[in-house]
Amino acid sequence: MAEKEFEPKIIGFFCNWCTYAGADLAGVSRLQYPPNIRVIRVMCSGTVSPHHVLRAFQKGADGVLIGGCHIGDCHYLRGNFMTIKRMRFLQDLLKFTGYKEGRLHLEWISAAEGPKFAQVVREFTEKIKKLGPSRLKLAARAA
Amino acid sequence: MDRLRDKVRKLLKEGKVAGYLGYIIKDSHPLPHLFTPERLEEVDRAIVAPGDARYPLDKLLQQLAGASPEATFAVQVRGCDERGLNELYKWDQLDPEKVVLVGVACPQEQADYCECAGPWPSVIDYGEKCQPVTQSRRVSRIEALPGAEAFQEWLGHFQKCVKCYGCRDICPMCFCKECSLEHPDLMSTGLVPPDTIFQLVRAIHMAGRCIDCGLCEENCPADIPLRVLYKKGNALVKDLFGYDTGSPEAGVSPWKMLGEEATLETKPM
Repeated sequence: MAEKEFEPKIIGFFCNWCTYAGADLAGVSRLQYPPNIRVIRVMCSGTVSPHHVLRAFQKGADGVLIGGCHIGDCHYLRGNFMTIKRMRFLQDLLKFTGYKEGRLHLEWISAAEGPKFAQVVREFTEKIKKLGPSRLKLAARAA
Repeated sequence: MDRLRDKVRKLLKEGKVAGYLGYIIKDSHPLPHLFTPERLEEVDRAIVAPGDARYPLDKLLQQLAGASPEATFAVQVRGCDERGLNELYKWDQLDPEKVVLVGVACPQEQADYCECAGPWPSVIDYGEKCQPVTQSRRVSRIEALPGAEAFQEWLGHFQKCVKCYGCRDICPMCFCKECSLEHPDLMSTGLVPPDTIFQLVRAIHMAGRCIDCGLCEENCPADIPLRVLYKKGNALVKDLFGYDTGSPEAGVSPWKMLGEEATLETKPM
């Protein structure tokens, strides 16, 4: 029997004003992107706490993608300043604990960037597929 | 020791402070104690706690200050304790006007053991300044490991956890009324060992707040090297945001404000 290809679970936290609208644009423009991503809409990417990201990994996510407005375009003016602080810190902390780099990704995608959205999701899914199932998930299963 | 006792006696006699939070020898045990003007004779038994018998005085001070918000207290501080006070002032947990420092410089062996970069407070009433340790060997060792090995090592430690919350309960910087470690939506309940992310969640909360007193690690019944994790967290906060945890000059914590501009860039995929 042929081995089934690994289909990662990816959680996306997208801000209501930019990236989610960008996803919408990708949808109405009929751009194709892999269905591995599960989208959670948040009002601002700055509301995504490191807790939520860690919780997603704990619950078996293989990757987490955060999408927000470009710096300066935030609907709440400076909400994404916090996003970048938190996520950069979390990326480095996860690296220190031996969690493979790149499973947590932050990308600024505006409402007009439908093609970029599809592109980012495609690339991220490919990357996670290459990385394989997350170590945290495997550890949680073994326990 | 005489210099320290004289200072405390003077403070208490002159009524400058309502009490002095320090250590006393009781039944041959060093224990934290509140010295008051009513029982001045106790000051003769005031001591500097040996390195392996430390208590979270900053935490006790928060309780004292909470119970008598108008009173001024003196408190025995090491370098770490003072950093803790500075952070607590910033987070509005204590009033700097109501705290008098009685400073203790740590001996070299304590600084070496803690890998402490600031083993003395701004006021020194006991001990001599020693050589600070600027590089943590324990952190560099983990940094040098390949990812898979580092993960295995941490996983091994995390799975020893008995979820006693001792690290949080002894931490002088853990002042939240509600704790995310006990939040059922953020952390699985009824599991021992807890979720693998348990220590990571605490590490996130400690970043830019941990004053590296090391009580969590000494308190941990499972010997989890928590200090290494928090040291790294602080080093990251310093690298990324230039924030020196516990320094009075460092300004507002990066987690407390959005900032006037975003200085960081997203990482490439």
